[in-house]
This record gives sequence, structure tokens and C-alpha cells, in this order.
Amino acid sequence: MGYLLLGIVAGLAAVERKGFLQAMLSRPIALAPLTGWALGDLAGGLVVAAPLELLWLGAVNLGAALPVHEALATVAITGGAVLAGQALGGGVTPATAVVALLVGAPLALLGRRADRVVEVANERLALFAEEALRRHHPHAAVRLNLAGLAMPFAIAAALAPAGAWVGSQVATRLLQAAPSLDGPLRVGWWAFCGLACAAGAKALRSRRAGVIFGVGAAAALLIGLGLGAAT
Amino acid sequence: MTIPFRTRAHVFWRCLFLQAAWNRRGMQNLGFAYAIEPALDALYADPARREEALARHLGFFNCHPYMATAIVGGAIHHEERVAAGEEPGAAPLSYKATLQGPLAAVGDGFFWTALRPFFGAVAALGALVSGWQAVVAAVVLYNVVQLSLRAALFRAGYRQGDAVVGLIARLSLPRVADRLRAAGVALCGAAAAAVALRAGGGVVQAEVGAVLVVAAAAGAGYLALARGAPLFPAAYLVAVLGTLAAAVTGWDGRP
Repeated sequence: MGYLLLGIVAGLAAVERKGFLQAMLSRPIALAPLTGWALGDLAGGLVVAAPLELLWLGAVNLGAALPVHEALATVAITGGAVLAGQALGGGVTPATAVVALLVGAPLALLGRRADRVVEVANERLALFAEEALRRHHPHAAVRLNLAGLAMPFAIAAALAPAGAWVGSQVATRLLQAAPSLDGPLRVGWWAFCGLACAAGAKALRSRRAGVIFGVGAAAALLIGLGLGAAT
Repeated sequence: MTIPFRTRAHVFWRCLFLQAAWNRRGMQNLGFAYAIEPALDALYADPARREEALARHLGFFNCHPYMATAIVGGAIHHEERVAAGEEPGAAPLSYKATLQGPLAAVGDGFFWTALRPFFGAVAALGALVSGWQAVVAAVVLYNVVQLSLRAALFRAGYRQGDAVVGLIARLSLPRVADRLRAAGVALCGAAAAAVALRAGGGVVQAEVGAVLVVAAAAGAGYLALARGAPLFPAAYLVAVLGTLAAAVTGWDGRP
């Protein structure tokens, strides 16, 4: 049942990402908690949401350029981390999250390849539409537009649960076989989170981004430490 | 003849599917024809003229999906005049061809590389500091902004036709985008600090370790990415190096 839900969530996200609406619901920051919620662990989804959003802040569809498929990878990574957390008990930890990330992230690249296949298939739809119009079926011609939503849904619905399964299996077996890896993997997750924040800052392409990034971090750190000391 | 409000609302709804069948040959051509079809049905009672109008909108079209609503609205504006015999059939095509490039550039620069990443950074920081409520608030606010702008652009395109360009210029979107990008970068920095403090869990010794790890990864990562390092290998390298360093030093990173 969990994998079926993952497939539905991934398929809908793939549709929302480009073909319909584009309301940020397929961005990692919204999709990871939704995926966690679908699997019964909203808090677990939130653990991976912010770093994945910042890592892929620059994954945008500019002109004809295809970005990585961040939605597909987000569902796979979140699903892998949540399912591993449920198998091990204790929910999503930094250790399960980083293993699910390392296993599931390549799906973002695979998803981009799949998007190219979808574009070729959509060319055929456009040709069919022109043919239908020549045969005086205008309504049928334009409704072929909606058929373009099917393939992205199917691809994401098939790949994301598979990625989540592999991620959860690797994380569960690794941490069962070597529980002492939990600590080092936790540090690896923090390091990844630091890089994700830097990737977000870089993706925004602002002038003097490096300086603003450093100042923002230092100011927030001082405020956070000050608040911590005050309480 | 003017298009009834209900039909215009139907067209606006269909604009949300503009990229459903995006392809490299005609790009958003099929989506544009799908969106404008209810308006053409209302304007042309003669099937031959209706098909002729639909055929001209099946030609190449590509724009930013939000900004394209202005062009769909403007195309209806021109189609009303074509149907009334006031303009030649080529007028809507000329309008589309003139505006699609510039509006795509404005839309990409404002929505995709500034507004959405800014709200992404707001939501990410909110998730780290507060929880899911902050994420919901950021996503709702983003959608209020983008849907309002989409609807306003559609309405302005329909009412003003070519004059919509002046309205968009008055919005000063590139200047607003610059400010949003700078604010987004600062939020990414704040998110890095929030990660370190959360990892430390309020324990001074752990906070120092966490701050050092996050700062090293963020600082070195930023410099590497700014020099053109690819994102995926960098992410793997940082995660693996962090894990190995902790394993070698025996530090488990617990608060």
C-alpha cells in the first residue's frame, strides 16, 4: 500500500511540475512532507524537505532547457528514508536520510532523460492534433493536449517507488549490519545540508551572493545562539 | 461580439494546462490551442472559420507559463476583432510572435529565478526553524501572488491587447527580482546557521562541532560551485567526506 501511495504522489507531482498548475506543490519543500504524510510520517518528510529544496533551488525550466527531475528524486529519497526509519524503528534519522539521498539522487538525472522521451512522444501528439484538425475534428485535436499528462505520470509513478524501495533496503541493511555507522552518517548529513544551503545561494545568481550568504549565516547564528543563551 | 466572462474563465482554467504536451517542434502550441478553444467556439459559429482560427493557434508558441496568460488574453482580444472583420486573420499571430520572446524572458527572470526560489528559501528556513506550518504558509502565499498575477495579466491582455506591454513594464519586475534574489541568498545563509544549531541540539560542544562541519561544507561547497564544480559530484563528495571524517575521528556528532 505504501508503494502504491508513493507512485500516486510521484505521478501527480510529475504532472504538477510542468504540465499542470506549477504551484510549487512538486517542489521538494512541499513534496517531501506530503510524501512523508502519505506514508504516515510527516515529521520524517520534513527532515529531508529543506535540504532537498535548497539543493535543487536552481532546478527550473528555462526555455527549452531541461532541469533535473527534482520531484521524482524527492519522492524516492523521502520514501526511502521514511520506510527505512519505520523498518528500523525511531523514524527518519540523519543516517537514514543521507543513505536514502545517496541512493535516490541519481533518479533526478534519470528523470531528466525520461523528460526528453516525453517531449518526443508529445511531438507525435502535436502531429496527431494537426491531422485531426485536417479531418475536421477540432475538439478531438485540442484534447490531445491532455494526453501529454499521462506519460510523465506513469514514468514517475513507476520509478519513484522503485527508488524508495532500493533506498530503504540499503539504509535498513547497512544500519542493521553496522549500527556504529549511525554517528558518522549523521555528520555526513550535516555536511550535505551545508552544501545544500550553498547550492541554494549559488542558484539564486545574485550579485555578491557569497558575501550576502556569509553575512546571513553569521547573523542568524548569532541570533540563534543569543536566543539559546537567553532561554 | 465580446466573449462572456464564463468563457473567459474557462479559457483561464485551460491556461493552467499550457505545457501539458510541451514538445520540441511546436513547444506550447497544442496547449495554446487547447486553452483558446472555448473562446474560438464562442466567436466563430461557422465551423470552417473556427477551424481556420484554431489552425493558426496550433503553430509554434513558447513563453513562460505564467506570463503566457497575458498573450492568451491578448489573442482573444485580437480574435474578437478578426471575427468582427476589423482585423486580418494574421493579427493574433503577429501579436503572439511579438510578445512571446520578451515575456518569456521577463517571466523566467522574475518567477523562475527569483520569486519561486525566494519562497523556496523562505519555506526551507521556516521548516528548519518552525515546522510544517511555515511551509504551508509560504506555499499559500506564493500561490496567492502567482495566481493573482496570472489572472491580472490575462485580464489586462484581454482588455488592453498590445497595451499590456506598458502595464508589465510598469511592474518593474527585473528590479523586484534583484531584491528577491539577494534576500533569498541571505535566507540560504540563515538556513545554514539553522542546520548547525539544530544539529548541535543546544549543547555547546556539539554546536561548535556542528557549526564547523556545516560551515566547512557550505563555504568550500560555495567556492567550488562558484568555480563551476558540478552539483551532483559535489553533494556526494561532501556527504561521503563528512561521514569518513567522523568515522576516522570517532566523533558521532551526538549532542
